[in-house]
Amino acid sequence: MTMPFSLPLTTLANAVPPVRVLPNNADGFQEIFFRTNGQTDSAVWTDGLFMLTFWFSTFFFVLLMGLLVYWCIIYRRRPGVPQKISPSHNTPLEILWTVVPSSGMLVIFFLGFQGYMDKLVPASGALQLEVTGFKWDWKVSYPDGTQTGQTVTLGGRNDIKVHALPEDTEVSLRLLSNDVIHAFWIPDFRMKMDVFPNRYTGYGFRTPVLGPEDDHPEGRYRDHWVFCAEYCGDLHSEMAAVLRVMPRADYEQWLKDQGSSGDPVIDGKRVYSSMCATCHTVNGAKNIGPSWMNLYGSTREFEDGTSQIADDNYIRESILNPNAKIVKGFQPQMTSYQGVINDTDIANVIAYMKSISEHVEQPAEGEGEGEAPASETDAEGEG
Amino acid sequence: MTTAETTHDHHDEGSYLTPKYGVMGTIWDWMTTVDHKKIGVMYLFAVLFMFFLGGVAALAVRLELLEPVRVAADGTITGQLFGPANPESIATGNNIFNRLFTLHGAIMVFMFIIPSVPAALGNFFLPLMLGAKDVAFPRLNLFSWYIYVVGSLFGVFSIILGGVDTGWTFYTPYSTTTDADHWRVLLMVLAAFVLGFSSILTGLNFIVTTHKLRAPGMGWFDMPLFIWAIYATSIIQVLATPVIGITLLLLIFERLFKVGIFDPALGGDPVLYQHFFWFYSHPVVYVMILPGMGIISEILSVHARKHIFGYRAIAFSSLGIAAVSFIVWGHHMFTAMGELASTIFSALTFLVAIPTAIKMFNWIATLYKGSIAINTPMLYALSFLFLFSIGGLTGLPLGALATDLHLHDSYFVVAHFHYTMMGGTVIAFLGGIHHWWPKMFGRMYNERAGMIGCVLVFIGFNLTFMTQFFLGTQGMPRRYASYIDEFQTLHVLSTYGSWILLAGFLVHLFNFIHSLVAGPKAPPNPWGGLTLEWETESPPIEHNFHHEVLVQHGPYDFDTVVPPHCDEREFPLPETPASH
Repeated sequence: MTMPFSLPLTTLANAVPPVRVLPNNADGFQEIFFRTNGQTDSAVWTDGLFMLTFWFSTFFFVLLMGLLVYWCIIYRRRPGVPQKISPSHNTPLEILWTVVPSSGMLVIFFLGFQGYMDKLVPASGALQLEVTGFKWDWKVSYPDGTQTGQTVTLGGRNDIKVHALPEDTEVSLRLLSNDVIHAFWIPDFRMKMDVFPNRYTGYGFRTPVLGPEDDHPEGRYRDHWVFCAEYCGDLHSEMAAVLRVMPRADYEQWLKDQGSSGDPVIDGKRVYSSMCATCHTVNGAKNIGPSWMNLYGSTREFEDGTSQIADDNYIRESILNPNAKIVKGFQPQMTSYQGVINDTDIANVIAYMKSISEHVEQPAEGEGEGEAPASETDAEGEG
Repeated sequence: MTTAETTHDHHDEGSYLTPKYGVMGTIWDWMTTVDHKKIGVMYLFAVLFMFFLGGVAALAVRLELLEPVRVAADGTITGQLFGPANPESIATGNNIFNRLFTLHGAIMVFMFIIPSVPAALGNFFLPLMLGAKDVAFPRLNLFSWYIYVVGSLFGVFSIILGGVDTGWTFYTPYSTTTDADHWRVLLMVLAAFVLGFSSILTGLNFIVTTHKLRAPGMGWFDMPLFIWAIYATSIIQVLATPVIGITLLLLIFERLFKVGIFDPALGGDPVLYQHFFWFYSHPVVYVMILPGMGIISEILSVHARKHIFGYRAIAFSSLGIAAVSFIVWGHHMFTAMGELASTIFSALTFLVAIPTAIKMFNWIATLYKGSIAINTPMLYALSFLFLFSIGGLTGLPLGALATDLHLHDSYFVVAHFHYTMMGGTVIAFLGGIHHWWPKMFGRMYNERAGMIGCVLVFIGFNLTFMTQFFLGTQGMPRRYASYIDEFQTLHVLSTYGSWILLAGFLVHLFNFIHSLVAGPKAPPNPWGGLTLEWETESPPIEHNFHHEVLVQHGPYDFDTVVPPHCDEREFPLPETPASH
C-alpha cells in the first residue's frame, strides 16, 4: 500500500478507544493543516477523514494540472502549425471519469456521516454542562450550579475565562443563547454547533487522557480554545474561552474553589467576571455599558430626561429588564438576564457594586476591592 | 493577419460606439438606448465600479487583520486601525470592521458578481452569438439596468448613512435587532430586494431570446456553450430570485411591524430564515459560476483551436447543475439542523459535485493535441482551471458532515468560496473581458501588460486565500476583527497577497485605459473564433450583422472551417479532414 493512502486509513482504524490522544502527534501535511492532531477520539477520526479527502483530492488535482501543464508545453502554438485531429468525445472515457470520482465521493459521504453520528450521540452518564451564550461571552454552569470566576492570559489575550473539565470523561454540552445566534466551536475537538435563542442544541465528547507532557508549573492540564463561530456583533471576535482539562482530583478542587465563598461581595465579583465584565468596567472607564465604579447610590440620568438614584430595585430592574431605562450616552444593547441569573446572584452583584461605590459607607476591611479582575487566588485570599 | 475577404458588402453603417449627436445628445442616446450592446457596456462599467467599491472594503478588512487587536491591563488598545482616536473600548472599532466586511460581502454578491457575467458580457454577446439583432425584449432590458442602478443606489445610500453590520446574509435575529434606531438596515435589505427584480427580468429576457431568436440553421446543439451556460443561469434566476424577494420582505415586516416570523423573542424561528435565505442563495452560487464556466468553454476552444471535448456532456451538466442546485441549500446549515435533514443534504451535495467534475475533465481534455496560444485570455482560462479545481475539491470536506462540523463558519469556508467565486467567476470574467475586449471596443489591449497583470492576480490571489485554508483548519473563525497570536503569520501573508492582487488589477486598469485611448485597431476576428460574434465588425455595427446570419458550421469546427475574416496562413487547418 502506498504511503499517502495508508496513513489516513490506519488513523481511522486506530481511533477506537482506548487510545491516549497525545497533545501533538501530527506530522507532515496534517501538522501543516491543523498544527496539532484532534484532541478527542472523534476529532482524531475527523482528522483521518480530512486527510483521506485531502489525498483523494490531491490525486485528481495533480493528475489534471499535470496534464494541463504538459499539454500546454508540448502543444503550444507554433506559427503555421495546425492543431492535430483527435476525437471530440469518447463515451467510455467520459463514463469512466464520471463513475470513478463519484464512487470516491460516495465513500467520503458515508465516512462523513459515520463521524457525524459519532460526534452527536452523547454517551450515557456524561457530565452535563449548561452553556449559555450571550453578547459577548459564554456562561458555563456545572451540575452543582458552579460557574467559573477564573481568567487567564492566553494567545496574547487577557481575561480569557477558564472552564475546567476532568480528564478521560464523557462530557455533554447543552447549548442555549440568551439573545442572537452564536456557535460553540472547540477547534481542538473538531466540533461546533449553533447556539439558538429558542431551542436547545448540544453535543458530547470524551475529554483526553493527560500524561507527563501536560505538566506545567501550576499543575497538570491541557487547554483547549472555545470560539464563537456565528457572527453576533461588536465583540464577536472576543467571545472566547478556554476549556482546561485536568486530572479529576484537580478538577474537584477547582470546582470547590469556584463555589460560594460565603461572602456576597466575593461571590458578586465572581458573577461580575463571569457575566458582566465584557461590557461593564469597574475602573470608571466607559465600555459598551456604564462602569460600575461608584455607580451604586449615584443619581442616574436617562436618555428620556428622567433620573433616579441607583438603589437595589434599580439594579435588579437593569439586570432583568435592561432597556426600561437607558443611561444618557448609551445604546439599548443589553438583553434581559431573566432566567440566566438567579436571585442569590443578583443580591451578590448588588453587594459587590456597593463595595466599589463611594456613595456607600465602606466597612474597614472592604477597602481597596474592585480594581483587579477576579482570579483563582481570590477565593482563598478573601474568604 | 486578417484579410478583407468577406462575403458581406460593406455598408457605411457606423459601429454602435460611433456618436451620432452632440455630447448631451450622446449621453441621452445611451441613457435611453435599447441596444443590447450599449446596455451591456453600461452594465460592465456599473459592475466594475461596484467591484472597485467592494474591493476597497476587502483591502480595508485585510489591512485591519494585519495585526490583532489587544487590550492591555491598563485599557490601552493596540492594533485597531479603524475607529476613534482614543476609544474607550474596542467595540467601536470592531463595529467599523463589521460594517466593512458586510459592505464587502453585500456589494460583491448582490451588486457585482450576480450581474457581472450575465448582465455585462451576456447582454453584449448572447444576441451576437445567436446571430440575433437584439434580445427579445429590448425595452425590458433597459428597464432592468435602471432597476439595477436604483437597487445599487439604495445600497450606496445605506453605506453613506453609516452602513450595516449584519453580514451579507442578514441572519436573524441579529439583523432584526441591530441598529434598531436606524433604517439603514432596511435600506440595504431593500437594495437586495430591488436588485432581485433586475436579475429576474434579465433572466426572463435571455430565456425567451435563446428560444426564439436563434439564427436560421442553429439548433440547440449548435449553440455555443456560453449560451448554454447563460440559459441555465437564467432559469435559476427566474425560479430562485422570487424566494429571496419574499424572504427579505418578511424581514422588513418583522423589523418595522414586529411581526414574529424569524425572531424567537416574537415567537418566530431563526432557522426558518436560514432555510428561506439559502433556498435562494445556494442556487445563486451557480448563477455566479455557470456563466464563468461558459466563458471558459469559449476561451479554451478558441485559443487551443480544438473542438470542445464532450460538448453535450458540458451542455447537459450546466442544466444538471441548475437542477440540483435547488436541493442542496441545507449544506449551509449542518450546524443548525437535525440529523436526518443534515444527512440528506450532505448526500445531495455530493451529487452537485459530479457535473462540475465532468466539466473539469472535459476542459482539460480539450487541450489535448491543440494549438495552444499562451495569451491573456488563455492564461486566465488556465488559472481558472487551477483555482476552480481547488475551490471545488475543498468543497468535499465541507460537504462531508464530520469534517464540516469543524470547518463550518471558519476561514476554510472563506477560502473555499473565494476560490470558487473569485478564482472561478472573477477570473473567468477577467478572461472573458480580455477575450472579447477587441470585439466590444474595437481596440487591442497590450498583450504583455495583460499577461503580467494575470500573473500578478494569480500569485496575489493564491497568497491571499491559500493561507486562509490553513487558518480555518487551525481554528480561525470567520468575521473576526481580531485573533489569537498563533494566527498572525498567516494573516500577515494573506494581507500581503491582497496587495499583490491589487497591483494586478491596477495593471489591468491601466492597460484597458491605454487600449481605449491609444490601442491599435482590432480586426474583426483577432483570435480566429468560429462563433457568430466574430463574423461582424469590431466593434459591431449598430444592428449587429450586415445581413441575416445563416449558420453553416458548428461553433467549434476548428478542424474543418477557416475562421471568418481570417487567413489560413495564420490559422491553418489540419491536413486530414476531420472524421469525427
